Amino acid sequence: MRRLFLILLFLSAAVGSSTAAELHRAELIDRLCGDAAALGEAGRSLMGVAAEGSAADRAWAAPIARAMMDRKLTCDGAGAVAMTADGSRDALSGAPRTAAESGRSPLLSLKNRSVFEMADAALALRSSSDLGRRAAALRTLERHAVTLPELLFESAAAEESDPVLRAQITAVAEAAALNSADPAKRIAALQRIAATPDRRALAKVGPLTKDPAYAADPAFKGAVDATVRKIERGIRIGDVLATLYNGLSFASILFMAAIGLAVIFGLMGVINLAQGELIMIGAYATWLVQEALQRFAPALTEYYLIIAAPVAFLVTATIGIALEAVLLRHLYRRPLMSLLATWAVSLFLINIVRVTFGTQNLNFVTPFYVTGGVPVIGDFIFTWNRMFAIAFAAVTLGLTWSLIRLTPLGLNIRAVTQNRTMAGCIGIPVRRVDMLAFGLGSGLAGLAGLALAPIYSVNPQMGQNFIIDSFMVVVLGGVGTIVGTVVAALGIGQVNVLIEPLWGAVAAKVIVLLMIIAFLQWRPEGLFAIKGRRK
Amino acid sequence: MSRFTRRSFLQTTGLAAAALTSPLGAPSIIRSAQAAGTVKLGCLFSSSGTMANIEGRLNHVVRMAADEINAKGGVNGRTIEVAVSDPASDWPLYAQIGKQMLEQDKVAALFGCWTSVSRKSVLPVVEQANGLLFYPLHFEGDENSKNVVYVNSPPASSVLPAVDYLMSEDGVSAKRFFMLGSDYVWPRTINKQLKGYWKSKGIPESAWKEEYVPLGFSNFQTLVNQIRAFADQGGGKPIVVLTVVGSSIPDFLREFANQGIKATDVPVLGLDMVEADLEGLNTEPLVGHLNCWAYLQNAKGAANAKFLKQWADYVKTKNVPFKADVAIDPMVSAYDAVHLWAMAAAKANSFDVPEVRKAFAGLSFDCPSGYKIQMTGENNYASRGVFIGSVNEKQGFDVLWQSKDAPKPVPFSPYS
Repeated sequence: MRRLFLILLFLSAAVGSSTAAELHRAELIDRLCGDAAALGEAGRSLMGVAAEGSAADRAWAAPIARAMMDRKLTCDGAGAVAMTADGSRDALSGAPRTAAESGRSPLLSLKNRSVFEMADAALALRSSSDLGRRAAALRTLERHAVTLPELLFESAAAEESDPVLRAQITAVAEAAALNSADPAKRIAALQRIAATPDRRALAKVGPLTKDPAYAADPAFKGAVDATVRKIERGIRIGDVLATLYNGLSFASILFMAAIGLAVIFGLMGVINLAQGELIMIGAYATWLVQEALQRFAPALTEYYLIIAAPVAFLVTATIGIALEAVLLRHLYRRPLMSLLATWAVSLFLINIVRVTFGTQNLNFVTPFYVTGGVPVIGDFIFTWNRMFAIAFAAVTLGLTWSLIRLTPLGLNIRAVTQNRTMAGCIGIPVRRVDMLAFGLGSGLAGLAGLALAPIYSVNPQMGQNFIIDSFMVVVLGGVGTIVGTVVAALGIGQVNVLIEPLWGAVAAKVIVLLMIIAFLQWRPEGLFAIKGRRK
Repeated sequence: MSRFTRRSFLQTTGLAAAALTSPLGAPSIIRSAQAAGTVKLGCLFSSSGTMANIEGRLNHVVRMAADEINAKGGVNGRTIEVAVSDPASDWPLYAQIGKQMLEQDKVAALFGCWTSVSRKSVLPVVEQANGLLFYPLHFEGDENSKNVVYVNSPPASSVLPAVDYLMSEDGVSAKRFFMLGSDYVWPRTINKQLKGYWKSKGIPESAWKEEYVPLGFSNFQTLVNQIRAFADQGGGKPIVVLTVVGSSIPDFLREFANQGIKATDVPVLGLDMVEADLEGLNTEPLVGHLNCWAYLQNAKGAANAKFLKQWADYVKTKNVPFKADVAIDPMVSAYDAVHLWAMAAAKANSFDVPEVRKAFAGLSFDCPSGYKIQMTGENNYASRGVFIGSVNEKQGFDVLWQSKDAPKPVPFSPYS
């Protein structure tokens, strides 16, 4: 009898607990389909599930939080349906089901969005089987670690199988204990925070000087002061690195845009106003390669930026050679005419692209190697798309330099640049060199278009922004020298980036132009003039 | 049958037309000296330069609306003919082409301009010629010319509700503001008004920062660094009020996402940001950023469904070089503008500007946004609904909030 009673008790408890869980789930679904306030409540309960819920509850809640973030949860008369990785399922029971036509997908307001972002990351940290996803979730949680339940990190660290990630979780948890009651924990937190010295950390630690413990506890005061010093140093280093990196990245863009112009202008004295449009065509060629890869070799699509390089070069080089052979060849002794002719060509190219492709910005796939960035120190973030442009510019510089310095064509180009008549006299085919050099300059512009595609918007007008800047670089560097172009690009890029935060982007442009005018008054031939007789 | 020659046909129909129109319309016909049978409307939207991508489509919308009205028999017995131009995003050229259209082409009304700087440049021209310019953009207000019809909202019924929303509990309780704009009249005036507004709410001056970039600017690295530094200083939730225009918008957003800032960290309120600016962007890391307009493509209602279908059909049949499935507020506003003009001209039974202007009072039109837009006799403003949109991962905006009705427009801001 007693045994039977126990069994009954056990059974009822089991039933009771299971109905409690059911109820709690159904209530949560109701809230998800409710108004903004109810949605916020639901987000907080999901966070509660992540911190304290059972493994089954967490596994149930994770796809729901994800679906809410992606707006893939649909509420209808019969509850809610979540679109998950394995199809459309009823949010409550997990049974496959499609949403009713009349269903609506709740939209997260910004306020609720941050609640759900945390809940989603917390659930992923505790129940995702993918290590990368857990690490990403930890990075998301880290920003708001102070506001999260301590239990979350404790249980996550206890369950984590990867030792590196476990150490990271412990570190985040320790840093979150900044306002704990235990002074030892606070000091440990300070040390953890000092490991990532940025402004966010300073905003956390700075107010502690007004904390009662700061005046009372010398150990705590020492720790706070040391942390503030360390963070401030980190921020200073980060700011210097960020300025250098920004300058270098802007310089790489200027260099890519200008190098083709430098070759052409140096050699022939022709100002190619269509250079910007050749950049644009390079970007369009890149896009076409991407589209072709998507259609014929989808596996390679991510690498289109690399595969497109020869295509972009050849397409624009061909256009350049055609341009030279058809048009500029007849205008060599009339620089003003060639200026006007290339301007006409630039307008022609813009409009032909507009007619063929339309004016909208092109849709580029963003490959993994140009997505996002890595925080380095302080507030310096190393962004991959800029790094791609810098690396691409460096490779282009290397190749162009080798071509000009190490090949017979380069030798000819240099000879014609230095003294056209004399080069002709000793049997260099001047006209052919002109044509090939024009092709080279145009091809370099095409490569610039490729390098710019992950950074700027690609549309028919994009080239017009570059012509002034690149002309500025060429004139400042000294006509026709590669090293001049590099130094001028670095100089203009860096000066721009230095002035911008002080007086704003508009003033930066004005000041840079004034500096160039002043410099050219002093040295009209530019930074590095080619010695020799021109004309 | 032999009596029916071409000449006699022309004579009789000409007489009939004259007889029909003479009691009311004869003087206006003499003044405007138009070819009988058509009335001309002029478009001032750039199809080249930095504004091309967004402004260019408005030419086609005006044509589409005109076709729709023509199919129903035109206005006052005339069919509408639309003259299109390309001011090439060159502000003084808007004035020059506008003058040409008013004086040589004798257009009955102009539809045009996106940036305020282009409107300011056309303003003296339409005032001198006593023409009519329908302006389809939300703008900085503080202007009330009798020769301009402001079809879209002044800040009091677009920007301020959105900023209020972000400052409220339901929004993000924003306390600090980074204003980033292109360097011209619209961003500067909007920011001036916003600063006045925040001052009136007792927010200290240290809570905001203002930066401007040249038009067409694209290298936002340093500025995004500055925004991060501003946001990490602490002292309340920061937001960015973005008033850059044209191709600067996608370039800014791309850099913003690449530096790892999410909408939940620092939301961007893009005042000139429309669906078309997101074309070509990967919007997944941008989900949650906001804009505010009098129309969003995701607005509910039959009127919107009809408009979207009409645009899609028009793009297909006329082979228009824009996306069939993207509709933006200024398109709808330009569409409304043509209808408002046609309604006013029909009501006045004239194409004469003073007559048409008098007829504006009391007009109302069912806008695709789902609101009834109305004009009063007090000024040339139209009352429109207010939408706040939130970027989604499909390069569009979800409707996050919308006003109950269309608030009465307040042309002059008390905060500037």
